[in-house]
Amino acid sequence: MRLLTRRTTLAAGLALVAAAPREALAAPSLGAPAPDFALPDQDGTIRRLAEFRGKAVVLEWTNHDCPFVRKHYTSGNMQALQALAKERGVVWLSIASSPEGEQGHVTGGQARELTESRNATPAAVLLDPQSVAARAYAATVTPHMFVIDGAGILRYMGGIDSIRSTRVEDVPRAEPFLRDAMLAIAEGRAPAQAVTQPYGCVIKYFGA
Amino acid sequence: MWRLLTALSVLLAPGAAGAVESAPVTSPRATVTVVSSVEAIAPGRPFRIALRQRLAPGWHTYWTNPGDAGAPPEMALALPEGASASDLAFPTPERIPYGPLVNFGYENEVLFLATVTPPAALQPGDRFALEASASWLVCEKICIPEEGVFRLDLPVEGTPRPAAASAEMIRAGEAALPRPSPFAVTVGFEGQGGAIALAGEALAPGSVREAYFFPADWGVLDHAAPQPMTLSDGVLTLSLARGVGPVPASVSGLVSIVDRGGVRSGYVVSAAPGPVPALPAAPGLPLWQAIAFAALGGLILNLMPCVFPILAMKAMGIARLSGAARGEIRAHAAAYTAGVVLSFLALGGLLVALKGAGMAAGWGFQFTSPVFVAALAWLMLAVGLNLSGVYAVSGPMGLGQGAASQGGKVGAFFTGALAVLVATPCTAPFMAAAIGAAVAMPPAATLAVFAALGVGMALPYVILGAAPGLARFLPRPGAWMERLRQGLAFPMYAAAVWLVWVLAQQGGADAVLAVLAGAVLLGFGLWALGQAQGSAGRGRRIGQGLAAAAVIGAVALLPRLDAASPPAGAATASVSILPDAEPWSPERVAALRAEGRPVFVNMTAAWCITCKVNERVALTTDAVQLAFAERNVAVLVGDWTRGDAAITALLRQHQRDGVPLYLYYPAGGGAPAILPQILTEGIVLDAIGAAKGPLVGAARGSTI
Repeated sequence: MRLLTRRTTLAAGLALVAAAPREALAAPSLGAPAPDFALPDQDGTIRRLAEFRGKAVVLEWTNHDCPFVRKHYTSGNMQALQALAKERGVVWLSIASSPEGEQGHVTGGQARELTESRNATPAAVLLDPQSVAARAYAATVTPHMFVIDGAGILRYMGGIDSIRSTRVEDVPRAEPFLRDAMLAIAEGRAPAQAVTQPYGCVIKYFGA
Repeated sequence: MWRLLTALSVLLAPGAAGAVESAPVTSPRATVTVVSSVEAIAPGRPFRIALRQRLAPGWHTYWTNPGDAGAPPEMALALPEGASASDLAFPTPERIPYGPLVNFGYENEVLFLATVTPPAALQPGDRFALEASASWLVCEKICIPEEGVFRLDLPVEGTPRPAAASAEMIRAGEAALPRPSPFAVTVGFEGQGGAIALAGEALAPGSVREAYFFPADWGVLDHAAPQPMTLSDGVLTLSLARGVGPVPASVSGLVSIVDRGGVRSGYVVSAAPGPVPALPAAPGLPLWQAIAFAALGGLILNLMPCVFPILAMKAMGIARLSGAARGEIRAHAAAYTAGVVLSFLALGGLLVALKGAGMAAGWGFQFTSPVFVAALAWLMLAVGLNLSGVYAVSGPMGLGQGAASQGGKVGAFFTGALAVLVATPCTAPFMAAAIGAAVAMPPAATLAVFAALGVGMALPYVILGAAPGLARFLPRPGAWMERLRQGLAFPMYAAAVWLVWVLAQQGGADAVLAVLAGAVLLGFGLWALGQAQGSAGRGRRIGQGLAAAAVIGAVALLPRLDAASPPAGAATASVSILPDAEPWSPERVAALRAEGRPVFVNMTAAWCITCKVNERVALTTDAVQLAFAERNVAVLVGDWTRGDAAITALLRQHQRDGVPLYLYYPAGGGAPAILPQILTEGIVLDAIGAAKGPLVGAARGSTI
């Protein structure tokens, strides 16, 4: 009898899954090991999260044509944060998860060119055209920011700052969530705000 | 090319000074304007403006919580000295899925409303110029930020002059705004799960097609997770999945509800999180219990007064079986059981089909048709007259025939079917739990429960068939059978009386007159038939002719039954909470208009949630009731719970498929104003011409 009920529930559950248009994302947990990945960088070298153990790591989801991303590169805010990361011994990884044919997709050459032309200084630009890393982190927008400590534990996820606009003039007025979190984590402190609202353009998921 | 089109659209747009709609800002993605609700403003009198976005197919803009990506539009107003404006009010958004993500926003056309209050010191003849600087993000897969400056320059007059060109549009914009919730809201989370529950009397299984909770804050919920809905009597529960942000001290947002009529409304909800609201035990009863109860209920049905006449018929059948061969008894029992079970399956199937078609079908729904009830009353009379020996039957009823014949089995089958048709209303009080569960189940389970009901009802005969030896204990055939037969006619007459009483509730005195007149005709016809059966040649044909004529006469009475109206006041009291309302009829509308009174018509139904909420938040407010009283507005309520034909015609006339429908017939004659399906106090006051300033009431009623 119980079995029957359970079977009904199961059937209802299956129907739900079938009805849901696409598989949902499960967000990673703060305080737990950050999901590892293996992605080619702008030069074709495979990079893993694990290879940076011992250093704090910033993940920046990017799409160079997204107006929200452009706001932070045009203003020089992103470059300043990357320089600050370098200075504090933090590894900065920019990740492009747009599949081929979608806005934000880059080849290794284009990634090198963009870094050069924007005077950016990420440790690497990782190419994720199958959106594998984006799924692992449940990244929703560009820019979506994550900070991982030297032990590989996820410590921060969310927005780059507090004003969710595309206006360059909002950058100096905003509370710099990512900057504060990155500095705290680099010094081994817990960030004041570990989760904030990310804002930006939707990530162009592979197969979406 | 595009620039040329843009230039053209600017030229062609009614954007010149003094117009109620600003010059548009146009892109391949969006055409945006600012619209005023008035052509001329008055000092100190608030009016509505709207940021209007017409979006190209595939493109969308965002709600205040944009979901997984995006940003809401912003608008800053530069106003003349002393003027003030409200924040933008956002309409109820839609879920816009993209890949594994879900955004909350708007497609096609959307209006963001604000209320502007000009200074009281203005003088007629002045001008009131406002400048709106707006920015918005419009996204398809990619996102484009856009912005524009919009100007309106309106004349100042003694009283506000509503704008004919935009009034309808602004009204639709107001109807799309979320409304205060009439529901008691509880919300709670535990771990990654949680639930929000809305309690209110209008909520019942089947009253809601879809519901979704849009959280005001990011991070509270996983925006992409489905929110399975559970509906029980009075409570709607949505299961929620937690997001990555913290739970705020007060969880707020909108619950959008699509009612069974397809009307969508948003309700502003807010509650401090507490324990997770309990989900009502999923489908009422587990399937096996529903089946067991159904079988037991079916068995008990054999003792119910409304099945009693059928039992009488069955008793005759059994009596005739005494002394019959085992095979015959078995065949008889099998035929009866098949009749009962198949009829229950047919009823269950019809119920499932009606539910699938979104109709309001309750158990025993066939009894809502006066024609059905009248026909059944006549059938009872006809069977009674047969048992009394007025005439004999050789048809499928097989009542006067030998039990051993083939007709006996067919007769047993139809006896079973008839038993089910008559028994259903009796099942309601005893079977409510099982049937309630059955109707909420998937169709296959529903049918299983109905089959169990049939098996239970036929059980005594199944046992008789399985152990034909039991028939030995029945008394031997003899003269007592004839007396039993005649005596059993009286339960049939009693059943007919009960059915006439049912009909009196539905159709009033007119219906009773029609059904009794039909009964006399039928009685005469069957008597004539009986006489014909006793004679030969010409007399036989005359008798048959008279019988046929009488039956045709009775059938001709049926349409009158359909037209008979229920007793005044009986239905409206329960279906509407409007005070001093009278039942609607076209004649009553005409009579009241002839008296020179304005008339407000409210077409509603017991199962219509939107109707009930409208009554609560818009029609029974003090301001509206006062305005009705001041203007001596007559309120007429039409009850479409059972799909009244006259109301259906009125709905069609106004291009509506269902309720709610609100009409206001002004005092001076002329066509009625059709109000939107979603009402606010302001919309009602505006429609009856009682608004203090244009739309000031609406402004009050719809702050977000």
